[in-house]
Amino acid sequence: MAITTTSLPAAPARRPRTALVGAMLGSGAAFMTYIGLLAVYLIERSNASLAGADWFPEGVVELGPSGWIFWTMIMSIFTVQWAEWSIKTGDRTNGLWALGLTGLFAAAVFNQLWFIINDTGFTLAGSTPEFMFFILNGAFIVFLIGAVVFLALTMLRALFGQYGTRQADGIGAAAMFWNTVCTMYFITWYVVYVTK
Amino acid sequence: MTMTESPPAMEPQSMIPALSPATGLYDWLATSDHKRIGRTWVHASLLMLLVTTIVGVLIGFEQVDASSVDIFGGDNGYFQLWGLYQFALVLMVAAPLMLGLAMVVVPMQVGASNIAFPRAALAAGWGYVLGTGITVVSVLAGGGWGALDGVSGDEADAIALTLLGTGMVIVSLLLGAICVATTVISLRTSGMNLMRVPLFAWSMLVACAVWLLTLPIAVANLAIMYTDLRGGPLTFGNPEGSDAMYAQLAWVLDQPQIYAIAIPALGIIGSIVPVAAGARQIAHWPMVAFIGIFGLLSVGGWSQPYFANTSGEILYIAFGIGIVLPVFALVGGAAATLAAGDAPVGLPAAHLLGALGAGVVLLAAVVCGAVKVVEPFDLIGTSAHGGLMNLTALAAVTAALAGIWFWAPKIGGDFLPSGLGCLVMLGFIAGALLLGAPQVVAGFVDAPNLMLFDTEDSVVNAMSLVSAIGAVLVALGAIGVIVAVISSKRSPGDAPGDNPWSGHTLEWATTSPPPVGNFAEPLAKVVSEAPLLDLADEEVDA
Repeated sequence: MAITTTSLPAAPARRPRTALVGAMLGSGAAFMTYIGLLAVYLIERSNASLAGADWFPEGVVELGPSGWIFWTMIMSIFTVQWAEWSIKTGDRTNGLWALGLTGLFAAAVFNQLWFIINDTGFTLAGSTPEFMFFILNGAFIVFLIGAVVFLALTMLRALFGQYGTRQADGIGAAAMFWNTVCTMYFITWYVVYVTK
Repeated sequence: MTMTESPPAMEPQSMIPALSPATGLYDWLATSDHKRIGRTWVHASLLMLLVTTIVGVLIGFEQVDASSVDIFGGDNGYFQLWGLYQFALVLMVAAPLMLGLAMVVVPMQVGASNIAFPRAALAAGWGYVLGTGITVVSVLAGGGWGALDGVSGDEADAIALTLLGTGMVIVSLLLGAICVATTVISLRTSGMNLMRVPLFAWSMLVACAVWLLTLPIAVANLAIMYTDLRGGPLTFGNPEGSDAMYAQLAWVLDQPQIYAIAIPALGIIGSIVPVAAGARQIAHWPMVAFIGIFGLLSVGGWSQPYFANTSGEILYIAFGIGIVLPVFALVGGAAATLAAGDAPVGLPAAHLLGALGAGVVLLAAVVCGAVKVVEPFDLIGTSAHGGLMNLTALAAVTAALAGIWFWAPKIGGDFLPSGLGCLVMLGFIAGALLLGAPQVVAGFVDAPNLMLFDTEDSVVNAMSLVSAIGAVLVALGAIGVIVAVISSKRSPGDAPGDNPWSGHTLEWATTSPPPVGNFAEPLAKVVSEAPLLDLADEEVDA
C-alpha cells in the first residue's frame, strides 16, 4: 500500500557555517602576514646577493633538522584531518586520539626548532640575515602556538560533547588554521633552509 | 512509496532566539548586540575624526609659514604629528568609521539577527580604542613613525609604543573585517544570493576581503620594525635618524592601497541614491561588478616603494589609470538613477548631499591618482602623495557621514539634524577638495611631501594657503558632526518611523530603533536587491 504524506515536520534549521568562513578569512589574514615577512626576507637576501655578500655563513643553517620538522608537519596534517573526520562521523575516541597526536607533533616541532635556533648560534642583534632568520622562524612559532591553542580549545569542546556529527565546524576551523600554519612552514623550509 | 506534496519549510534566521536587551555600563562594555557594538566603533571614530582634523589644521598653518608658526617645537615634532595625521585619518578614522557603520547596518541589510562573532567584533572595537589611545599618547610623548633626529633612549620607547598601537589598530580592523565579511557570506536570509545583496553590504564584503589581503602585510612591516627597534641590528629600526620607518609603511597611504579605504563609499552612494530618487538602481549587476573591479584595483601591498621602486612599472601605472573607469561608471550609474527617479527638486537631504559630494571627491581623487602615475609629470614623492591621500580618505569619511545621517534612525533611533547635516557635508566636500587638490597642484612644481622649510615658490605658498583653508573647513565639519550627534541625543525629535526615507532594503523592514534580534517576524524570501520595493509592487498589483 502506498503511503502518502501530505505534511512533514519542518527540516532543522540550516546552520550557517560561520566558524568555517571566519577561520578561512582569519587563516588568509595570518598567511598574508607571513607573506609580508617573507617578502622582506627575500628582498633583503636578494640585496645581499646583488652586493656580493653571503647571506648565511657556510654550513651554519643545516637542512637535516628542518627536514625532520617538515615531515612532522606532514604527519600532523594527516592526524588533524583524521580528527576532523572522526568527530564528523561520531567517533569521538578516535577524534581525541588524533587531536592528542597532533599536539604531540606540535611539541616535537617546538623541540626541533629550539634545537635549530641553538645550533645556529644566531642572535637577534647579530646581523640582518640573523635577524630575518629569527623573524621568519619567530613568526612561525607564534602562529604555531595560536594553532595549538585553537586545537586545544576544540579538543576540550569535543571532550565535553559540544562537537559531534551535527556540528564539527569548530574542528574543521581549527584544522584549516593548522593546515595554513603547516603551509607557512613548508615555505619557510624551502626559502630559509633549502635555497638558503 | 512516499509522496511529499510540499517541501518542508526552512526555519528562517529571525526565528533564532533573541538576545536579552542590553542595559547598564556592564552591557555597554560586554554587549553582544551588533548595533551597540557598531555604535562604539562609530562614536570612537568620530572622536578621533575631531582630533585628527584639528591636527590637520595645525599642520596646514605650519605649511603656510614654516618658520614663524613653529607650533611643533622643531622639525621632528612636525614630522611626528604629520605622520599621526596621515595614519590616523586612514586607519583610525576612515576605516573604523566604515566598519562601525557596517556593524550596525550590514546584519540588518542581509536579514540576519546579529553579526557573526559578536564578541570578537566587540573585542576588536575595544582593541581599536586602546590601540588608538596608545598611538596618540605615544606620539605626544615623542614617539611616531621614526624620528628625523635619530632614535635613542626614551624616544625609542615611545616610537616602539607607536608601532605597537598602530599594530593593535590594524589587527582590530582585521578582526572587525572578519566579522562583517562572515556576516555577508554566511548569514544572508533566504533567497538573498550575492547578486541580491544591497550595495553597501556588497561593498563592505569587497572592502573587508581587500583589507584582509593587504593590511596583514602592514602588520608584518610593523612587526619587523618593532622587533628591530627592541633588539635587532637596527636595519629597519631607523638608527641614523630619517623618515625610513614612515617610508616602510607609507604604501598604506599611497595608491593603489589608499583606494581600498574608499571601497565602502561606493556602496553607500549606491544605497542612498536609489532611495533618494525613489527608483530602482539602474544596472544593479554592473554596479556590483564595478565595485568588485574597484576593489581589485585597490589591492596594494605588492607596491612598497621603500623596498622596490614600482613607480615606473606597467602594473602600477595600469592600476592607477584603470581605477578611474569603475568610479566613473558608478558615479554615472548613480546620476542616471537619480535622473530616472521622481525625486522632488529642491534642497537635497544631508545624506544625499554627502553621497553625491563623496562621489565627486572620489572622482577627483582617482583622476589625480591617474595623473600621478604618468611618468612625465614626475609627481611620485611630491606633495601629490598627501593630496591623493587627503582626497581619498576624506571622500570615504564624507560617504560614511552621509551613511550615518541616512541610517541614523537605525543606528540611534532618531534623525540627525538635517540643516546642520547639510553644512557638515558642505564643509567636508569643499574642505576635501580645497585641502587635497592644491597639494596635487603643488606637486607639479616639486613641492615635497613632507615640507619642512619655507619656499620662495609663489605657487607652493598659494597652494599651502588654500590647503590650510580646506583643513579648517574639514575641522569645522568635524565639530558639526559632534554637535549633531550630541544634540540628537539630548533632544530627541519625533519618532522617525520604520521606513522614513521609503528605503528599499531589509534594514527598513524593522522598527527604528531595531529590537534586539532585529526582526520581530520571519522575513519573506528575497527575490531581488530591493525587497521592500518588491513588496510595494506586490501591494499595488493586488
